[in-house]
This record gives sequence, C-alpha cells and structure tokens, in this order.
Amino acid sequence: MISAVIIVLREVLEGVLLICMLMASSVALGHRLRWLPVGLALGVAGAYSYAAFLDPISMLFEGLGQEIISALMLLSVAMALVLHVYLIASQALRLTSGRPSRAVLALCLLAAALSIAREGAEVYLYVYAFGVQAGQMASIMSGAVIGTGIGLSFGTFLYYGLRALSRRACLWTCAGIATMTSGGMVMQATYNLEQADLLPGQQPLWDSSALVMESSLTGEMLQAAFGYEATPTGVQLSLYLAAVLASLVAIVLARLQAARKRETST
Amino acid sequence: MTRSDTGRPRPAAPWCAALALLLACGAGPTALAQTPEVEIQIREHLFYPAEVRIPANTKVKLIIRNLDATPEEFESYELNREKVIVGNSQGIVFIGPLAPGEYPFFGEFNPRTAQGKVIVE
Repeated sequence: MISAVIIVLREVLEGVLLICMLMASSVALGHRLRWLPVGLALGVAGAYSYAAFLDPISMLFEGLGQEIISALMLLSVAMALVLHVYLIASQALRLTSGRPSRAVLALCLLAAALSIAREGAEVYLYVYAFGVQAGQMASIMSGAVIGTGIGLSFGTFLYYGLRALSRRACLWTCAGIATMTSGGMVMQATYNLEQADLLPGQQPLWDSSALVMESSLTGEMLQAAFGYEATPTGVQLSLYLAAVLASLVAIVLARLQAARKRETST
Repeated sequence: MTRSDTGRPRPAAPWCAALALLLACGAGPTALAQTPEVEIQIREHLFYPAEVRIPANTKVKLIIRNLDATPEEFESYELNREKVIVGNSQGIVFIGPLAPGEYPFFGEFNPRTAQGKVIVE
C-alpha cells in the first residue's frame, strides 16, 4: 500500500501544482473556473484512452511512439504556459481586471487536460493491473486515495495561499510558477527525446545528487516545481534555459506593450 | 481609447527556433549505425539480467521485454529514463554515452522487487 501511495503521489504532485497555479491565476484574472470541470473531464478521458491504447501508441514510429507523443504533450503544455505568462503579465501591468479573455480559458483547459492525461494514464495502468486484475483492490485503492489526498491537500494549501496574496502578487507568483513549470516540462521532453535517440545523449555537466537526491522527497518536490535534475547535460540545460527565457521574453513584450499603451492614452 | 490593442501573444519565435534545433539534432545521432543492443526481460516483476554491463562512452539500445501480463514502468533517476511497457510487450530505451559507474534502475510498479543496475565500464 505504501508503494501505491508513493506511486500515485509522484504522478499527482506535478499536475496538482500546475492546475492550482492555473486556477489561482485565472481567478485573479477575473475568470470563473468554468474551464476546470471541462479540463478535468477531458484529462480523465485522455488518460483512459492513452492507457488503453498505450501498446499500439508505443509501437508507432518504430517503437518510439510513447516518447514522441509524450514529448509533444509536454512541449504543448510548456508552450501554453509561456503564452499564459504573457497573458498574466499583460493583465497584471494594466492593473485592471479587463475583459475575460477566451485565450486564458483555452490555455488553462489545454494545459490541465494534457497534464492530467499524461500523469493519469500511468495511475490508471497501475491501479487497473495491480488493483483490479490482481484482486488487490483494497490495498491499491486505499494507497491511491491516500496518495491523491496528500496531493490534493498540498494543492488546496497552495491555491488558498496564492489567493491570499494581493492580486498583483498572486499574478506574478503564478507567472513565476508557470515559468519554472514550463522549464521542467521542457526538461522532461528532452529526456523523452534522448530516450528515443532523437536528441543526442551526453555526459552530464555536473552532479548535485550529494546535495539533493532526485529520489528524495525534496528532490521530487523540486522536480515537480521546476524540473530539478541532479545530472543535467548540455542539451538539457540549454533547452531548459531557452524555455525560461521564452517566458521572460513574454514578460518583456507585455511590458513594452503596456508602456506603449500608457503613452497613447496620455 | 486603444481599441486596436488586441494583445495578441507573440512569443512563439524562440519556440520555433528550439524546435528546429531539436529536429536538426535528431537527424544526426540516428544516422549512426551499429548501436550495441542489450535485452532485458521482465518476469514475475524481476529484471533478467538484473545487472547489465555496457561499455563506457557508448550509446546502447536497451530492448526491454515484459513477459508478465501486468504493465511495468522501467525507470531510473540516474539514467533519466522512464518508459511504461505494457504486459506481454516490449519497448526500446536508448541510454548513454555514459561515464564509468553504476546506474540503478527499477520497475516503478514493483519498486521493492524489480531492481537492477547498468554497470558502465
């Protein structure tokens, strides 16, 4: 049961962090959370289909289907997050709640659904094979429920923590989380592409496992938060930095537009 | 009134560049033939062999055959690899080039029993 708790918590943590950030930022942007149930439903449907068709999916592209699809999902979420950072920044700088933007809703929906689909598929496969098929429903399910529960309580804490901040602080914190998460997503996409030999594997630049082990709880938390990697390679680090840079560019663009707008209105 | 300000998101250029770079890198390593292959089997939630020896500084293609009916996730923090292999199926995982040392891996769905390591020498 303990391993079920850990397996499920590991999968849930990253999605919870992302979705709570999306929730807090979209409320701060003046939206209701209408995208949430749709995103959850699409995510669950996606997770089920991904898990159910994982064998044929894996066989695509000469056995590299899982890596390629997973990398595409991760990169799409990362791109959605960079756009989200732009939308957050442009709203935060105008200091008004503005019109609710369809783009925010679409990006939140997409990012939430894709992230649930990717993480949920593994949880589904695990619970189905080792709980339902192996007749271990009680122990696996209680483990899964506890793991999800820990993840959700962490999420609740984070969400209300973010909502307790002033609107501006909340938006900028969310932009920060989105920036870090998009870096982490790109990092994971590079693992997938290296695993499929579509990006070259390299010797790592450094090894910080003596400081924080990736397999430790702190390591897992840091990985969910910003894609912590104890032994990054040159390719991984440059793509990670490119992702973070993309968000910073998005913020600068929003600032420039806000400045231009102030000029024209005075 | 600045009705013309549509606030269209534009930061797509760096992503396009990154993707192009990615595709360009991808074309290189795959063209090299003669990647050594190593087969690992999963039976009764155990890895056979549990220790895989591979040469240093060489890219290796792991072929993981899952002979169980249940799925397993081949995972390694040290190798940065993670792949679900459904029951009675197989998967390919490229690893390396690696520096000499030991790189543990495990089956995420059976972490207590399914353990192994890649020994690079």
